[in-house]
Amino acid sequence: MNKWFEQRESGQPNVVSSRIRLARNWDKYRFPKSLTAQESEELVKRLEYGLKNLKELDGKEYEYAYLEELDELSRRALRERRILSSGIIEKKETVGLIVSRDESVSIILNGDDHIRIQVISPGLHLGELWKTADQMDDYINARFSYAFDAKYGYLTSFPTNVGTGMRASVVLHLPTLSMGKKFQSLVGDMSRFGITLRGVYGEGSENYGALYEVTNQKTLGSSEQEIINLVTQTANQLNHQEQQVRERALKNHRLEREDEAYKSYGVLKYARRLSAKDAMIFLSQMMTGVDDGIFTFRESCSIYRLMLGIQTANLQKLSHEPLSKEELDMARAAYIRNELPELC
Amino acid sequence: MLCEKCKIREANIKYTEVINGVKNEHNLCAQCAKEMDLGHYSAIFDGEFPLGKLLSALLGLEESSQKEDKLQQIMCPSCKTTYQEFVENSRFGCPDCYGVFDLLIGDKIKKLQGNGTHIGKKPKYQKIEALTREGEAGQPFAEPELSRDEQLEILKAKLQEAVLKEEYQLAARYRDEIRSLSQETQPENSTEGRSGE
Ligand SMILES: [Zn+2]
Ligand SMILES: [Zn+2]
Repeated sequence: MNKWFEQRESGQPNVVSSRIRLARNWDKYRFPKSLTAQESEELVKRLEYGLKNLKELDGKEYEYAYLEELDELSRRALRERRILSSGIIEKKETVGLIVSRDESVSIILNGDDHIRIQVISPGLHLGELWKTADQMDDYINARFSYAFDAKYGYLTSFPTNVGTGMRASVVLHLPTLSMGKKFQSLVGDMSRFGITLRGVYGEGSENYGALYEVTNQKTLGSSEQEIINLVTQTANQLNHQEQQVRERALKNHRLEREDEAYKSYGVLKYARRLSAKDAMIFLSQMMTGVDDGIFTFRESCSIYRLMLGIQTANLQKLSHEPLSKEELDMARAAYIRNELPELC
Repeated sequence: MLCEKCKIREANIKYTEVINGVKNEHNLCAQCAKEMDLGHYSAIFDGEFPLGKLLSALLGLEESSQKEDKLQQIMCPSCKTTYQEFVENSRFGCPDCYGVFDLLIGDKIKKLQGNGTHIGKKPKYQKIEALTREGEAGQPFAEPELSRDEQLEILKAKLQEAVLKEEYQLAARYRDEIRSLSQETQPENSTEGRSGE
């Protein structure tokens, strides 16, 4: 079955993916930090048992696992695909994972909170994702009563999540806007509007691939719909600005833009060795070329999928044996050569 | 990590001492660090503990430090999280912490979250008492929505586990629960039996 990120791109340039996360806690147990190993295990087993028929809700096939059963590489690969966060990957106590086959819906049990629901899709669709998350939330709530307070809303381990317990985020590709001088101050300004804008693969100029995530900063005092509107509007706004600078660049420097796009395709299609940094830079340039209509692929191809595919743990996993740094660079180049379609 | 001296409190001060070229690392809580005279060590503090705070703790400079000490020892009775622990890792131990630390953290939450009261979604299925406070009738809470057989299955597994771990008190509780649960089923069965005759 195809993963959500393997699906055809939504056709909306520069928008990579949307995600909704909800944090919830069962009122029968203390928060994960205060649970003994035994309590953690009991909690996870009871939650998992109560949710064993999740399929009846949405017809999706779900896989159930414990983090401890997974080897290190699989955990890291799950983090690369943004199902696990780095804090949870090291956790010693029992952590439960419920993941739909297409990885668009996942539930983490006993991570930072007892229950973390995540729904994710390509394109900008926070409203639809909220509908899915909302239903999933009710389904779980019908089986487990939540820690809830009239003033603070859904009670969470971190007060940074209290209230709605919701994070809505959109990943955008901002290759040109992020190169501008004003971008850093734009990032700073965002927080005044209750928005966090950060590089997906690092901060500042280290963020190779130019993917940026827009997320709501506050979780208390706004309704879910208000949060969704805020994040959606901000994402659209940023995308609009990116498109404006891109159009200008294309108008004034058409040859340079075409040259960059074709060169990056050429390198990706024929290179024998690619570092993670170079691969991300070229994939980003190629993504820009495709979104600008400079060229099209003969078959549909999700460039974001390639970005996920060339991450270290995934390549290590595909090779079935440990790879040295040099072998990794070879495997990365081979992976892209193999996946990249011909041009029309 | 626990403080190496008292082995009770969380160690939040890490210092490195170098004696005759040999490097030693120590992990202490604020209190023990305060009690120890660190003056003769060439101490390098590299923990996350803010230096200003550390100094005031060591030297008792701040007048308010005593008051702060008292604040820091406020503890959530349900999960034993202290205010100090919360300040250090901004993480609560249980839902009750919100009530216990409400007055202390109100400002911090405001700073973080703005001046807000929750206005979003409310749990659809919740214990009635939790919502009557607001005069709202939540749907009666069914927990968990398992058939009796399923509940029995879980309880039996738990009983077995408790016995294996030699936790006999717990085991006795599960045994009683199993007994009362299976007794509930019997009247139904017997009526069925009679009607079948
Ligand atoms: Zn100590
Ligand atoms: Zn507590």
